[in-house]
Amino acid sequence: MAEPQVTGISAAVFLACLGFGAWMSSITDFDGRLILLWAGLIAAAHLITVPAPSGEHLYLGIGVATAVPFLVADAAGFLAIVTLGMALAWGAFTARRNLDRLVGSEFLAEVAALMAFASSVVLLLEITDRNDLDSDTGTLLAVAGGGIVWFVTRALTRSLVGLEREDLSARFLWLLALEDWAVIVSLFTSGALFGLAFPQMRWWAILLALLPYAFSHLAFVRYNNTRITYGQTIRALAQIPEVAGLATMGHSERTAEIAVAIARDIGMHPDEVTELEYAALMHDIGRITLNEPAILRAGYTDEDLARWGAQIIGEAPFLDTVGTLVREQHRPYRSIGEERDPTVPLASKIIKVASAYDQAVHDQMLSPIDALELLHLGSTYDYDPDITASLRRVIAARGALHPSNR
Amino acid sequence: MNQQSSTRQQRLRIRLAVGFALVGAFILVWLLLPGRLPEPLLLLVVFAVIGIYFDWSAVEVNDHLVVSTTSLIQITAAVVFANSEPVVAMALIGAASPFQPADFKYRRWFEPAVNFGQLIISATLAGSLFALLAPETAPTAGNLSQFVIAAVAASALHGVVNFTLVQFIFRTVFGRGQARPWSNTVSIMLPYLGTGVLAALLGGAYHLIGLKSLPLIFVVFFVSQMTFTSYARLREAQDSTLRGFVKALEAKDLYTRGHTERVAYFSEMIGSRMGFNGTRLERLRWAALIHDVGKLAVPRDLIRKRARLSGPEYEQMQRHVHLVEDLLAEVDFLQPMVEIAAHHHAHYDGKGYHGGHPHPGTPSLEARILAVADSFDAMTSTRSYRVALSQEYAFEELRRHSGTQFDPEVVEALIEIIESRGERYGSPDVDSEEEARRRAEGVKLDG
Repeated sequence: MAEPQVTGISAAVFLACLGFGAWMSSITDFDGRLILLWAGLIAAAHLITVPAPSGEHLYLGIGVATAVPFLVADAAGFLAIVTLGMALAWGAFTARRNLDRLVGSEFLAEVAALMAFASSVVLLLEITDRNDLDSDTGTLLAVAGGGIVWFVTRALTRSLVGLEREDLSARFLWLLALEDWAVIVSLFTSGALFGLAFPQMRWWAILLALLPYAFSHLAFVRYNNTRITYGQTIRALAQIPEVAGLATMGHSERTAEIAVAIARDIGMHPDEVTELEYAALMHDIGRITLNEPAILRAGYTDEDLARWGAQIIGEAPFLDTVGTLVREQHRPYRSIGEERDPTVPLASKIIKVASAYDQAVHDQMLSPIDALELLHLGSTYDYDPDITASLRRVIAARGALHPSNR
Repeated sequence: MNQQSSTRQQRLRIRLAVGFALVGAFILVWLLLPGRLPEPLLLLVVFAVIGIYFDWSAVEVNDHLVVSTTSLIQITAAVVFANSEPVVAMALIGAASPFQPADFKYRRWFEPAVNFGQLIISATLAGSLFALLAPETAPTAGNLSQFVIAAVAASALHGVVNFTLVQFIFRTVFGRGQARPWSNTVSIMLPYLGTGVLAALLGGAYHLIGLKSLPLIFVVFFVSQMTFTSYARLREAQDSTLRGFVKALEAKDLYTRGHTERVAYFSEMIGSRMGFNGTRLERLRWAALIHDVGKLAVPRDLIRKRARLSGPEYEQMQRHVHLVEDLLAEVDFLQPMVEIAAHHHAHYDGKGYHGGHPHPGTPSLEARILAVADSFDAMTSTRSYRVALSQEYAFEELRRHSGTQFDPEVVEALIEIIESRGERYGSPDVDSEEEARRRAEGVKLDG
C-alpha cells in the first residue's frame, strides 16, 4: 500500500473512532468528564514508549487501557473511553508531526489490537458475570483473556503490515513480535494492579502500580541500550582487520547486512538472526593473524582463516555459537554424491553466499546480475541454491536487478 | 601475601564470623522467647522463600542503584504483620536470607555467618523503629500515609545500619583500601527511601485488596528482575568479548601476555583507592582494557622489535593505533574510555607527547591513573630486551618522575595499596636497567 493510502485509511479510522466513541458516550450513564479524563490518559500514554527486546518500541497506552475495566463497570463507557482515547492519540501523533511513521500502519495496528482487546474484554465480562464470580476476579480473568487477544492481534497485524515489504517473511515478523512478551506482561499487570488498588488505596495506587513498573521500564531501557552498544562494539572490533589493511574495507559490514536480509527473507528466528549478524560481521576476524610475518611466509587456506577467527571469537564465552558459525563457513554445503550436508549450519551457508556476493560486486566489480550468475555457477558445492534464490529476492526487492542496473 | 599475615587474617575472620553469628542468634532467641509468633505463619514462610529467591538471584544495577530486595521484602513483611509482631517477622526473614545455595556448594562459611548476624541486627533495629512509628493495627485507607512514613524511616535505618556494619566488616578484614568512601552514603541511601514507600504500599495492598494482589506484584518484579538479569548477562558478554579480543592480541606475544589484564587490575585498584565507584570505576577498567587494542592492527614485527623504532616505523604504528581508536570511538559508550586510553601517554605536567604532537594541558585523572598502572606493569614484567625489574626499582622510578610524567598522588596510591596488600611484582633482585638487559642476554625468549 502506498503511503497516502495508509494515511487516508488511518484518517478514516480516526473518524470512525470518534463517531463510535461519541455514540457510546451518549448511551452510557457514566460521567462524561471521567470518560474524557481516561481517554486523555490513554492518548497521553501513547506518547510514551518502552523499548522491547525485538527492537520495537511499545506504547504504554495498553497499560492504561487495562486499568479501565476495573473502574468502569459499564461496557458502553469502557468502549467509549477506548475509542475516544485512540481518536485523541491520533490527534496527538498528528500534532507531534510524526504522522508518516506513526499515523500510518503503526496506528492502524495499534487500533486493531486495542479494539480486539476491548471487545474481547466486554465479551468475557459478560461470561464471567453469568457465572457469578466476584467482580474483581472476573475482571482479572477478562483482562487476562483480552490481553492474549491483544497480543496475538498486534503480532498478526504487524506481520501482515510488514508483509508489504517483499523481503521480509511473515514468520520472522511473527516471531519478532512474540519476543516482546515480557514488556507486555509487565504493562498489563501494572495496569491491572492500578485498577484493583484504586478503589481502596486511592492515589497511593498510582505509586503502587508505577514504582514496580518503573523498575521494569528501567530494566528494558538498559537492556536495549546495552544490546545496541554490544552490537556497536562487535561492529568496531570486526573492522580491525580492515583498518590494518588485512581485509577489504567495509566488507564485513556489507556481508552482515546482506546476510541479515537473507535470514529475514528465509524466516529465521530473531535470536538466530542476531547471532548470524555477529558471525557475519566477524567472519574475517581471523585475518588479524595475517600481520604475523611467519604465517604469511608459511601460507594459509580459507579453512585456516575460519579456524583462527573461531579461536579469537572463542575467547569470549558468550559467543560460542557465533564462533561455531565462523568456523563452519568454509565448508561446502554438500559433498560429492551426497544430498545437502545437514551438519553445516544454515547461518554459515548464508555467510558464505553473502560474502561471495559482496566480493563479486565490490572486488571484481561485477553487476548484481553477474554476481548472482557467479553464485549459480558455484552451486554444485559452494553456494546453496536455496540461499542464492533468497539473495535474488532480497536484491530484487531493492531494485538492483532492474535493467538499468545491468 | 606472606604466611604470617594470612594466618592473622584467618583468625580475624573466624573471630568476626563467630561474633556476628552469636549476636544474631542471641537477638533471635531473645525475640522468640516470649513465644509470640507472627500470624499467619505460612505467609511468613512464603515471604522468607521469596526473600531467599530474590537474594539468590540478586542483581546490582550499578553502585547508584543497588536493587535492595532484602530490605524491600523485610519491610513489606513488617507492614503485612503490622498487627502481629512485625519485629519478629523482619528478624526471621533476615535470618533466612543469607543462606544461599552457592554458599553450600562452595562451602563458604564466612559470608553467611557474618550476614546472618548483620541482617538480624539491622532487621531488628529497623523493625523496632517501624513498630514505634506505625499504628498497631492493619493498614486501612485512612492510615496508609502513617505506614508510608514508618516504612520509609525503617528502610532508611535498615540501610544505614546495614551499610555501617558492612563497612566495618570490610575495613576490619580487608583494610581501609577495600571499603567504599563515606561520601557515597547519600547516593546509596536514596534507593532505600523508594524501597520504604514501595514496601508500605505493597503491604497495604495485601491488607486492602487481598491475596489476589500478590501474584500481580510478584509478576511485575519477576519480569523486571529477569530483564535486569539478561541486562547483566549482556554487559558481561560485552565485557568478555572485549577481553577475548585483547587475549587474542596478546596470545601470540609471550612478552605482553596478561599485560592488559594486569593494567586493568592496577587501574581499578588505584581508582577505588582514590574514591572512584560505580560508573567511573567501570569506565576506568574499560579504558585499561582497550588501551592496547590499537596494537591489534599493527604488524607484529613492529611490536616485537628489540631496537627502537625508526621514525617512519613509529608513524606507521601510530597510524594503525589511531585508526583503531577512531573505530572504537564510534561506539557511543566506549567514547569516554577511548579518550582516556588515547591520553595515557601524556605527561602529568602537560609536556608529554601524544601521537607525535605536544599534548595540551594536564590529562584527566583517569588517564593519569592508567599511565601509572601501565608503566608499573611495563617495568615489572619481562620484555623482549630485558627481564622484569624489581618492585622497589619500579616504585623508585615512579617516584622519580612524580610531578613531571606521573601524578604524585596516583603514584603514592599505587604504592600504598600494593604494600598494604603485601602483593609483589617483578623480579626480586633486578635493580637497574643494565642488569635487566644483561640478564636478558642469557635467556633468549622468542614468541
